[in-house]
Amino acid sequence: MISHIVTATIGAALALAATIGSAGAQQNFPTKPVQLMVAYPAGGSTDIGARIVAAIAEKSLGQPIVVVNKGGAGGQVGWTEFVRQRPDGYYIGFINLPATNTVILDPDRKAIFTEKDFTPIINQVLDPGVIWVRADSPYKTVHDLIDAAKKSPNTIRAATTGILSDDHLAILMTEEAAPGAVFRLVHLEGGAAQFKEIMAGNIDVAFDNVGSIMTRVKSGELRALAVMDDVRSKFLPDVATMKELGYPTVMSNSTRGIAGPKGMPEPIVSKLRDVLKKAMEDPEHVSKLENQGLAIKIMVGEEYARYFADTHAKAKKYTEWAKSRPQR
Amino acid sequence: MRRGRLVACVCLLGIFAAALVTSLDYSLMDALGPGPGFFPFWLSLLGATLTVAILVETARSHDIGTASILPSRQAAWQVGGVLIALAAAASLLEPLGFRLTMLLFIAGLLFALGARSPFAILLTALAGSFGVFHVFFYWLKVPLPIGALGL
Amino acid sequence: MDTFQHLLAGLTAATSLQNLGFALIGCFLGTLIGVLPGLGPAAGTAILIPLTFTLDPIGALIMLSAIYYGAMYGGTITSVLINVPGEAASVVTCFDGYQMAKQGRGGTALGIAAIGSFVGGIAATVALIVVAPPLARIALSFGPPEFFALMVVGLCLITGLGGQSLLTGLVMAVVGLLIAMVGIDPVRGAPRFTFGIPSLYDGVGFIPVVMGLFGIAEILLTVEAPYREVIKTKLTSLLPSREEWRRSFGAIARGTGIGFFLGLIPGVGAIIPTFVAYVFEKRLSKTPEQFGRGAIEGVAAPETANNAYANAAMIPLLTLGIPSSPTIAVLMGAFIINGLTPGPFLFKERPDLVWAVIASFMVGNVILLILNLPFVGLWARLLRLPYQYVCVGTLLFCVIGAYSLQQSVFDVGVMIVCGVIGYGLRKIDLPLAPLVLGLILGPFIEKSLRTSLEMSGGDFSIFYTRPICLGLLLAAVVVLLGSLLRPPPKVRESNA
Repeated sequence: MISHIVTATIGAALALAATIGSAGAQQNFPTKPVQLMVAYPAGGSTDIGARIVAAIAEKSLGQPIVVVNKGGAGGQVGWTEFVRQRPDGYYIGFINLPATNTVILDPDRKAIFTEKDFTPIINQVLDPGVIWVRADSPYKTVHDLIDAAKKSPNTIRAATTGILSDDHLAILMTEEAAPGAVFRLVHLEGGAAQFKEIMAGNIDVAFDNVGSIMTRVKSGELRALAVMDDVRSKFLPDVATMKELGYPTVMSNSTRGIAGPKGMPEPIVSKLRDVLKKAMEDPEHVSKLENQGLAIKIMVGEEYARYFADTHAKAKKYTEWAKSRPQR
Repeated sequence: MRRGRLVACVCLLGIFAAALVTSLDYSLMDALGPGPGFFPFWLSLLGATLTVAILVETARSHDIGTASILPSRQAAWQVGGVLIALAAAASLLEPLGFRLTMLLFIAGLLFALGARSPFAILLTALAGSFGVFHVFFYWLKVPLPIGALGL
Repeated sequence: MDTFQHLLAGLTAATSLQNLGFALIGCFLGTLIGVLPGLGPAAGTAILIPLTFTLDPIGALIMLSAIYYGAMYGGTITSVLINVPGEAASVVTCFDGYQMAKQGRGGTALGIAAIGSFVGGIAATVALIVVAPPLARIALSFGPPEFFALMVVGLCLITGLGGQSLLTGLVMAVVGLLIAMVGIDPVRGAPRFTFGIPSLYDGVGFIPVVMGLFGIAEILLTVEAPYREVIKTKLTSLLPSREEWRRSFGAIARGTGIGFFLGLIPGVGAIIPTFVAYVFEKRLSKTPEQFGRGAIEGVAAPETANNAYANAAMIPLLTLGIPSSPTIAVLMGAFIINGLTPGPFLFKERPDLVWAVIASFMVGNVILLILNLPFVGLWARLLRLPYQYVCVGTLLFCVIGAYSLQQSVFDVGVMIVCGVIGYGLRKIDLPLAPLVLGLILGPFIEKSLRTSLEMSGGDFSIFYTRPICLGLLLAAVVVLLGSLLRPPPKVRESNA
């Protein structure tokens, strides 16, 4: 009987010690450098944004934040690696919606992770989708474009920045909202390729995001026809939204935020969130990102989780359509 | 050399055959043109044909150098040793961390290859593991693995 | 203000003490990045961008540009000394450069590489100044169909690379092309030949493969038969002999032209000009059997092309705002972060800035030459260490390089496997160069074919209704016929 009590006491003491110990570990977090993963090669837009945030945040975090690039397969390689890491706060990474969603949803990709494998921490950027053409293009408004697409279906060459990218889904949303309009999809790799092919006349219209083209619209090389958000972009205040133009269902954007593997303890998530939020609100961060035309939209907690779920549901619908459309 | 070539040709044929069969699983043609399986299929076929041609040519020729390509017993040990060391280092990089793994790798391999001065070996091993790590991780901010032991 | 005045103003700005300093730091860091394994120019430039936040825009841009073309030179050093390409574009230099090092002429190889790079860089910059905007417009007409045709021409060049026979060259090219098919395909976005391994989704990774095929294989061969005698060979002078000068002269001139024109075409990448220059030189040479065994033109041509390319590739960026390669895209990002959008409007609005950057290219090339030539002897001397140290050092180098690309042990594994394969291929004398070329061209060919068909809606006529595309395809046929009718020399080649 006494041995039972002793065992129980020792057991309880150990459990208490473990809890205090891990709480202590959480209290002291971080005690070594934190790795911030970007699922794209160095130099891309997400990567640069990551390096800017890391450089500022590590000052208040007290430990270096090292940006780790794990590019490949549109992000799939990075996220696959990511979900296998320990949720102890020392390995966090960027998730890009809806890219992360489409990778999960595309059956051909055979992703080993699902939307439940992430702990969203904080969103950094929300870059609305935009439809644009060359400055001297015959299409002066979105209506011109859509009329042309209805008149000669499958002739107007519309470029995306990648298969199942947010732009790809956006084209499908447009076709859905304007029945009869069918575009000829051309999948290019990235905004720079779009710019080149548009200037060369190989493409008629491009679907991309405000950040990629903002500076060029200002310089007059391009014309933005519409922004696919519910409010006008502060970088392109003269460009109407699809909602204003009568297509309220065409809402597409690309977001970048930081998440951890699932199962991260709340105190650590909280600490990271505060540090990163402070860094993102820092004027230097804001100005550097705004120079690139990237709109900062900080989302945390419930709001971010809900946004993730919404984006996922929407992406599901259009991904399925994309897979069954004759010309993908 | 001749035998080596023949063996290589057989291996190549095997690879091409495997590629051919696998590419049949991917569609060869679709609405727009060549599908994912198109190029691999025809390439494998082309490759196999060419390999057969080389096979025939090698089998019939007599003037290719007859010196054996196989290394001597001692040399084989050296080569094998390097490969084993490399494989071991690769698999231990993440569990043991860069510094420890490379320390062991450098010291071990130097010794196995015949270096004899303990001082030089130790110095090189330390520079190549801890020194290099410091430069890459702290100065250049290039992440190198840190293992379970914190090294 | 006319061009000359712009240039003068730019030179004045570029040679200010501060900007000279930035160019110097940039060249130094760039060379270091080029030498260091795995850390390619793109990653290196990206990592250093935060460093430039505190600098003024001109200084930041000068430094980052210097890092970019400095890295082109750094990669040469390891290619020559230990047969490990420091970065992708230096692969071709391994063919002859390393052979030269084995013959004790490593210093000469590095020297001619430095000189050729300098000439190529300056010539390209001058051409940039003189003809930039009109030429850049022409390059714009290179769309996906033209790209496809260009890649086909590139493939036909393989016939000029073949070793002992056309057959072996072709087979190795096919192997290279097949390896390039591994990964997510550009057609449907579905994995191909990946066997469920996520690390393969993006393909087999060019740098680990090449590091293995060349660097690791070389180590294995060395370990098998240590050639202590070569190390003891007296280092010959660092400058080429008169004979070598004569031969390099043409190579440098041609390399400059090839590198420059290919640099104007966005998307070509740095490796292709080096291959084209190499093969071109080999075809024109009276002693083609020397290539792959230490022919100095085999180093001069690709190195010149490489640097001419790097400088010329800035033209589409500065004049049209189109980045030619991922590394230049990073540079463009740096411009934008600093509030400047490269393109025709920047040229008009801030000519002082653009011309200062252009002028700094010239300055940078001079700095690179001064920086690197003296060290050539130092680098070459490293080879004289006892062979165990050179081997283990090289291996360490390669492991770090392969790992640091994507922080992946899988890449290290790929490298080791390719090392074994390369070892085997060298033993039975199957040529590596066609394999590498196939590996490079494979993705381009498939993607450009597919994108062209997307553009045309599935209509193949796009390939013969566009004049440039048609012209290139015909050129490919000519090249192919040319090499079939003139049989390549039947000589053993040791490294290519």
